[in-house]
Amino acid sequence: MPQGKTGSTIWKAVKSFFSFWKDFLVGDSPVLALGVVIILAVAYLLRSYTYLAPATVIILVLALMTFTVWQKARKPRRNPQSQS
Amino acid sequence: MIDQSTILLFITVALASAVEATEALTILLASGITRGWRSTFEGALLALACLAIIVLAVGTALINYVPLYILRTVVGTLLLIFGLQWLTKAILRQTGFKAPHDEHDIYNKEVAVLSKDAGIRGKRDSLAFAVSFKGVLLEGMEIVMIVISFGLATRSGNQLAVASLGAFVGVAVMVVIAAVVAQPLSKVPENYMKLGVGIMLTVFGMFWMGEGAGVQWPLGDAFIPVLLAIVFLATLGLIAYFKRVHKEETEVSP
Repeated sequence: MPQGKTGSTIWKAVKSFFSFWKDFLVGDSPVLALGVVIILAVAYLLRSYTYLAPATVIILVLALMTFTVWQKARKPRRNPQSQS
Repeated sequence: MIDQSTILLFITVALASAVEATEALTILLASGITRGWRSTFEGALLALACLAIIVLAVGTALINYVPLYILRTVVGTLLLIFGLQWLTKAILRQTGFKAPHDEHDIYNKEVAVLSKDAGIRGKRDSLAFAVSFKGVLLEGMEIVMIVISFGLATRSGNQLAVASLGAFVGVAVMVVIAAVVAQPLSKVPENYMKLGVGIMLTVFGMFWMGEGAGVQWPLGDAFIPVLLAIVFLATLGLIAYFKRVHKEETEVSP
């Protein structure tokens, strides 16, 4: 079945393409990626407030950074020698 | 005239590229020494050519067809994600929650894998070619993303040439050092460099994402150093706090 074989090869290529970009952009921190998108939405909603908008973006970014470090520090470390 | 944001852009791209180059060079060194240099260089050169084509093709297409505010929003969001990923990992390494990046260890693991069936030096070696191609392409993709992002999103318009030059300088410095020492670049303060780059990517990401979304930063571009100071101080605070937490944890459970 050459057609089926070609289809499966294309499907595999498409899957590995998206999996590469998912690993590349999201990696092991989906909360972080989602958090950044939420901050973008908040920034857009508050854009007309001269001082509130920049202050909120800064506070949210620092909060997301703190939360991500706290979350990863709390995770049970099965492999403390992990390099990634 | 070279302005402050151009200098910051150049330094950030050069540092980020140097960090990624350190990791790629470890793979190349392991491949070259165990499997021979010919196929290793061929794989690396092909990967570099692919990366250059991506920068030119994607960069040019984005400049010509995508409005600046959309570019800044997308680029800022991506940079903020990258920056926070780098920064949180660097903080975890500084505080002891994550093992430091050890180029010697990575080199030894690569050598162990590549040593199997070695002994075809001088001839074409598909494994050496594939390993060096993949290593340079994957590490280089991050450089490409940073070059394109920084090159397109600045207030002064297209800075692709400055960003590309920064990447070239960062990589070239590491290649020269690697050629001189001819061993894994374990003495490069990679973790500190990642911390610095993480802070810079986070700041530029936050700034451009905000601008893209319509946020008016006080003082315009001059606010970037203020953001740098804020993120730097927050990073120092987190390192101090989580170092203490790690110390207490290790004292409680030896």
